[in-house]
Amino acid sequence: MDYINLVILGCALVTFIPRLIPALFIDRLDFSPKVEKFLNLIPYTALAALICPGVLTVDNQLWYIGLIGAVVAAGLAWKKVPLGAIVILTVVVLITVYSIVPFF
Amino acid sequence: MGIGYAAIAIKAGFTPLQTISMSFLVYAGAGQIIAASMALSGATAIAIILTNFVVNLRYFVMSTCVLNQVEESNTPLNVIVGHVTVDESFAMFSLSDDSSIWIYLGIAITAWLSWCLGAAIGVVILDLLPVIVTNSFNISLYALFVAILTPAVKENRQIAILVLITAVLNIVLSNFLGNWSLIVSTLVGAAVGMYIVDDEYLLSGDA
Repeated sequence: MDYINLVILGCALVTFIPRLIPALFIDRLDFSPKVEKFLNLIPYTALAALICPGVLTVDNQLWYIGLIGAVVAAGLAWKKVPLGAIVILTVVVLITVYSIVPFF
Repeated sequence: MGIGYAAIAIKAGFTPLQTISMSFLVYAGAGQIIAASMALSGATAIAIILTNFVVNLRYFVMSTCVLNQVEESNTPLNVIVGHVTVDESFAMFSLSDDSSIWIYLGIAITAWLSWCLGAAIGVVILDLLPVIVTNSFNISLYALFVAILTPAVKENRQIAILVLITAVLNIVLSNFLGNWSLIVSTLVGAAVGMYIVDDEYLLSGDA
């Protein structure tokens, strides 16, 4: 098989199987309060781990680009700006920063 | 976000159809970008597939969380929920108050299709976009994560401490564990959270 097709199908398979398992068995599971609490904490820890240190590699050459973006997004969220607006404004700020960087 | 992936895939020799099919079939943001980058650098198919397995293993945890909370579901719907659960849909679902499966599927399937559309747009207009614009789009996913996490951090000091611990843990572990670090930090972080976060906050429906 063509190399790229093999990569695509292989990745599809190994990604789908872990997603399928909970879908098939979740009904038969009755989680204890402790497990519930553990599952409820996952969103916070997963997001924290997704952001750090990944955000610093948004631009492979300029690590601070990602940091600026994260700080802008956090500041806007702190001021209760709606989600969609935060994403758009952060992208706009970064485009602006990129336009200024060459001057330093 | 899909546009950035398309840029790398095309560079790695994917046809436009392959680029879009991968978004449809695999549907894993970071996983696809990593796969395309590895293909670009000439990695073997087995290495790429194994890396994808590890990187995407977090969806096992995420879809378990989502399925544990949605109401009025059945197995066929669960399978769809599984496939469309990615970081964005998971984050939005777990931190919102609504636990209807239909609302979740609506949001998550829209996100899936727009990811595919992003790849299609990327294939077409890639050459027209300046690098600074495509680079700036790379921040959008992180902006979303930060925006979702900030209110919880602001509201609850224990959650803020937990987020900080997990972030530091992942920064340290990523030097030793590479791709495994994300899932290990997520699970260890949640285990630490069992001791430092009060039950009341989580059970009040904010999680």
